[in-house]
Amino acid sequence: MTGPDHPPDGAAHRRRPDRERKPAAFRLDDARVRLDSDAHEALTRGETRVVPTGATAPRQAAATPERSPRGVSWGRWLTIGLGGLASLAIGLSIDALIRDLFARTDWLGWLAVALAGLAAMALLGLILREVTGLLRLKKIDEIRTSLTAAAEDDDDATARAGLRQLIALYRERPETARGRRALTDHLGEVIDGRDLVILAERDLLKPLDARALRIVNDSVKRVSLVTAISPRAVLDLAIVLVENLRIMRRISALYGGRPGVFGFLRLARHVAAHLAVTGGMAAGDSLVSQLLGHGLAARLSARLGEGVINGLLTARVGIAAIEVCRPAPFIAARGPNVSDVMGELFKGDPEAQALLEEAKAAPPRKD
Amino acid sequence: MAQRNFLSRLGDELRYSLDNLTETVGDLAVPTVRLGVTGLSRAGKTVFITALIHNLVNGGRLPMFDASAEGRIARAALEPQPDDDVPRFDVEAHVETLLNERLWPQSTRRISELRLTIEFESASLLSRTLGRGRLHLDIVDYPGEWLLDLPLLEKDFRSFCEEALARARDPARADVAAPFLAALAAADARAEAAEPTARLLASRYTDYLGACRADERALSMLPPGRFLMPGDLEGSPALTFAPLDPATLEGSPRPGSLAAMMERRFEAYKKHIVRPFFRDHFARLDRQIVLVDALNALNAGPAALRDLEAALAEILAAFRPGRVSRLFSIFTRRIDRILFAATKADHLHRADHDRLEAILKRTVARAIERAEYSGADVDALALAAIRATREASVTHDGETMPAILGTPLPGERVNGDTYDGNTEIALFPGDLPDDPEEVFAGSEARNPPVRFVRFRPPALQTTAEGATLSLPHIRLDRALQFLIGDHLA
Repeated sequence: MTGPDHPPDGAAHRRRPDRERKPAAFRLDDARVRLDSDAHEALTRGETRVVPTGATAPRQAAATPERSPRGVSWGRWLTIGLGGLASLAIGLSIDALIRDLFARTDWLGWLAVALAGLAAMALLGLILREVTGLLRLKKIDEIRTSLTAAAEDDDDATARAGLRQLIALYRERPETARGRRALTDHLGEVIDGRDLVILAERDLLKPLDARALRIVNDSVKRVSLVTAISPRAVLDLAIVLVENLRIMRRISALYGGRPGVFGFLRLARHVAAHLAVTGGMAAGDSLVSQLLGHGLAARLSARLGEGVINGLLTARVGIAAIEVCRPAPFIAARGPNVSDVMGELFKGDPEAQALLEEAKAAPPRKD
Repeated sequence: MAQRNFLSRLGDELRYSLDNLTETVGDLAVPTVRLGVTGLSRAGKTVFITALIHNLVNGGRLPMFDASAEGRIARAALEPQPDDDVPRFDVEAHVETLLNERLWPQSTRRISELRLTIEFESASLLSRTLGRGRLHLDIVDYPGEWLLDLPLLEKDFRSFCEEALARARDPARADVAAPFLAALAAADARAEAAEPTARLLASRYTDYLGACRADERALSMLPPGRFLMPGDLEGSPALTFAPLDPATLEGSPRPGSLAAMMERRFEAYKKHIVRPFFRDHFARLDRQIVLVDALNALNAGPAALRDLEAALAEILAAFRPGRVSRLFSIFTRRIDRILFAATKADHLHRADHDRLEAILKRTVARAIERAEYSGADVDALALAAIRATREASVTHDGETMPAILGTPLPGERVNGDTYDGNTEIALFPGDLPDDPEEVFAGSEARNPPVRFVRFRPPALQTTAEGATLSLPHIRLDRALQFLIGDHLA
């Protein structure tokens, strides 16, 4: 989090002068006391300025994560070199094409120029969108990092900065208006850092969490069903792949990300990394063994069993995607687990439902 | 030290069990939580209770109180209290004083009680189907001075005299104790008992206790509590006694002597006043909040803080924290959650709240340890049941300080300036030290580095319909969540 030269508690707002400050009181009706006055106006000696602070005293930016130093990345230079050459080649060939067209007839040449301009504009737009998409994802990661840190240290200033960013992130989403207003109200009060993060979770993110869970649920159902009835293995494979990619995109969009192609690749990498780190199996494992061990899958046809397995995979990917895309950590609320999602699938079967209840009641393993 | 005799203790225990049994039957219909609001005088008990009720009944802003924030509280209303022989806590009058006259409630002179019934929907399916969706919250308000009597239950007259005189001879109290000590020296404990002597001693002793409590000293360990707040017992023989010099109490006193009379009255005080008070209101609590006015003691200096620490340690030893298994809960109750709260947190800037909490934890360290050891849940926080100030930053002579804005009570003084109760000021109260030990160590001579001022209650706007907006507070919601949140889950 903070670098080695920062104080260990990382709370800059707690810093104060070393020497002792004497208690002091100023009457607000005193002529020498200026209330709410322009902060840039210089004070003469003996004068006092009083500025009521609604939300928080010092506005301290959240600590930004430090970048790890990297060595010379030859691969990157190679890519840049080759990419540049390729662009030059393409540019040259387009140039040549336009010249050729002009040589034939003028109007063909102009048409080509117009088309080239259109393509250039679209390319620019694409790049812009990719960059903003990436920045947005990065921003969400930053908010999550600072909120996690704030909850751990119970740090007021970091939490408030993080919450303000969170409110800004959802500004264009009318359905979050209520939550944002509630959160803005909370910011005006004396509430501890960790509690603020919990409030953000409850007031702003709870409805989004419910929708995210529904998205995963729908996908799991679709995957299970299609696998169960599809005639060819290749088809399931394609369906599972497409559904998993779709889940990631939809969940990212739900939580405020707008990933383009590169953003999406980054997201997929994060989800994969998350699955690898947490094993993605903690909750799922026990469930699978419960289901298979009690002979549930065997009771069903082989295809149906495969459907369940594919559904489980999708559920795990979806949950990892939620954890990667959500701009706040799960602190008060329990994060979704596989049985939440799979429960829907077995709603009709009382025996399976009982097994799921059992799996849920078992103490959750910490990862 | 002689202990309370075994038989009376057994009798008390049997009585608690019986009461508990009848209450358990009542609980089958609607569960009851007895909330013990504990705190010395001026700690803010009445204000806390008033704010709690006002916020729950009027649906105040309580974001950290889950049941309220999730909109699961259907209704909260005052209901007839269980004990008919105790006055009702006059919440309406207190709210009226707070909001319209902008004055804090007068110090409590007698005991009062109330029952708040909360109708709620449980968040869990099981208790929504099986539970009653109602909860009684019983709260008792009483003069904080009376709490000082609880430690006396375990003491006999001799140990009471020893401790009282050791305190009176302490250099920190020497000047105010002088008149009492002079009267004591003049009286002969072995002589024939005479009512005028007893009256003189008692009144001198009462004056001495009162002087110790004044703001400059802000001492806390001042038993017996009824001397400071006699209630309706003023002048009765049970209150007309005083500690005698332990040196004159060798052997058993001659019947009819002053010493014998004093001892008898002390025992009567314990038997007729202290024990019923404890038995009726403290023996069977489920949850406890201990309100501590650390700021007043901080104002007065290290001696006051050490005295506060000693008083709280003795008082809290009378309570029974811990966990009871489901089976035995029919017969006995234990306090399974204790919240320690440093009140009046609005009188300092939020940046100092963590330090105030550290000082609080240091002050009640012994009680926290005991409660945790016996299995109770413990939390500590800085609280303001009603927030009387706003925050600001003040720039003066090129220096920027965190400050609070508020209207001081008439007669409050800072740096020689006295306020009339209508002037709003910006106050920088000084910095609390990072290490709580610093405020406990040190001698009287050192000027305290902090100066806290009492502020008037906030001026609240009312809506066009005349409804008052909810009372502002600091962490009242967190306190509520800790104290009764699990019953409404």
